[in-house]
Parts: sequence; structure tokens; C-alpha cells
Amino acid sequence: MNRSTYFPSRRGFLAASAAGSAWLMQGGNAWAQAVAGMRSVSDIEPDGPPGPYPIPWLDKNGSHNQPAGPDLEPSHICHFKGRVARCSGFSGSGTDGKNERLLFGTKTTDYGIMDGEYWAARAAQTGTFSHI
Amino acid sequence: MPAGALQWSGGGRSAAIEMQDVAVIDQPKWPARKAVASPARMSFKMLFEATDKAVTYEDKAKLFRVTGFLANCRMEARVTVPSIGFTWSSDPIDKCPPAAFAVIGNEINGKYYEEETAR
Repeated sequence: MNRSTYFPSRRGFLAASAAGSAWLMQGGNAWAQAVAGMRSVSDIEPDGPPGPYPIPWLDKNGSHNQPAGPDLEPSHICHFKGRVARCSGFSGSGTDGKNERLLFGTKTTDYGIMDGEYWAARAAQTGTFSHI
Repeated sequence: MPAGALQWSGGGRSAAIEMQDVAVIDQPKWPARKAVASPARMSFKMLFEATDKAVTYEDKAKLFRVTGFLANCRMEARVTVPSIGFTWSSDPIDKCPPAAFAVIGNEINGKYYEEETAR
């Protein structure tokens, strides 16, 4: 087994920006395939990359996740078994560098932890992931 | 991730995660296309504590099952965006309201779910 840990950026992850998409799209999306096609043969991993694969139906907006809530799947990783913790709906306040009070949080301010085993590169991998 | 950043306790009924200066992207105009993104740093601490309300979420069509507990979750965070000189710190964790929804437990999905249900 391999073990890896990734911490994608929160907004990057949600926005399917380069950082976020790359995190969960290592498993064989069209972009990755295209990039792979430009590398030398020696760079290609014969069993596919060992990173986690996204859950297909969470990809409606290219974000690879969904809100946290009752009856909703906490994991963003397909072929996964392990511990999860997921939450949403933070609100509160804080202080900026000018000592001004600023509110934070919305219904979709969400976080998550996935810690366990997933299947990729035709082998069981282990990893700890956080959606921040 | 630094060793010890994530700690499970109570047989998986509690989780604490604490990270310092994680590289993130500040993208205030998201989800607008081509929204400007700036490198930022985020430090945070988050605590999950299971309640006594057990839950099971299962969808045979989507191949997943979650067994666990509704939870209380609190967090505190600090953000810096060096390019604009912005810093922000939340109130301390014991002063911040809990998340509106939180769950903690175990999940099995995809091929693992299929393998288990086929037994």
C-alpha cells in the first residue's frame, strides 16, 4: 500500500481550479489524459496514477464535492472506505489586521476529512485528505 | 501533512485537525469565470465531537453507506493574503458558533461497497 496526504485549497477545490481539480482528477480525466499524451512514454504510470478518483455524480459543476447534509455522502473520493467527518454552515466573526470586525461563513462554508483506504492504480492506497 | 495534525479519539467519535500556514488560494469572485486568485495562507483548528444521535446514510444506487453520528463541530481560523496585506483571525474556537450540520463516522463506497454487499 501507498500512503499520501493532500491538502487542496478550499476555494480552489470548490471552484475546480487547477489546484482543486488536480487533486481529485488525477484518476484519468480528459485533461489528464491529454497531458499524459504529451509526456514521454517513460513518464506514464502503467496502472494509472495513485491519486484518488472523484465520485462521478459529484461532478455536475466540476467541483467534485457537494454540500454536507443528511443523507449526503461525506466522501469526495470514489472507491473509498474509512473514517469521515463533514460539516457545513459555519458562521461567526473575526478581526482583520485593522482591528475591524468581519463576519464570516455561509450555509455552504463546509469542511471535511477523509482518512482511509481508496482504490487507484489497481491497488489499495491509503491517505488522509481534508477539504478546507 | 505534519505528523499529528489529525487526531482521532474515542473510537472515532472525535476528531481534531490543526494545520498551520496551509497554502490556499483566495478567490473572492469565485465562481465567476476567470476570477482573480491570489496565493494565501490559512491556519485552522477544527474539532468534531459525536452526539448520541446515530445515523446511517445509504444509497444503493450511488453505492455508498455512512454509519456514524451527528456531531458538533467548531473551528477557528486565521488567514493571510500577503499580496494585499490582508490578515484576518476568527474569534477563538470556544467563542465561534458550531456548524449548522456535522457528521462523523465511517463510510464505504464504490467497489468496496459492492464487494461488501455481494457477500
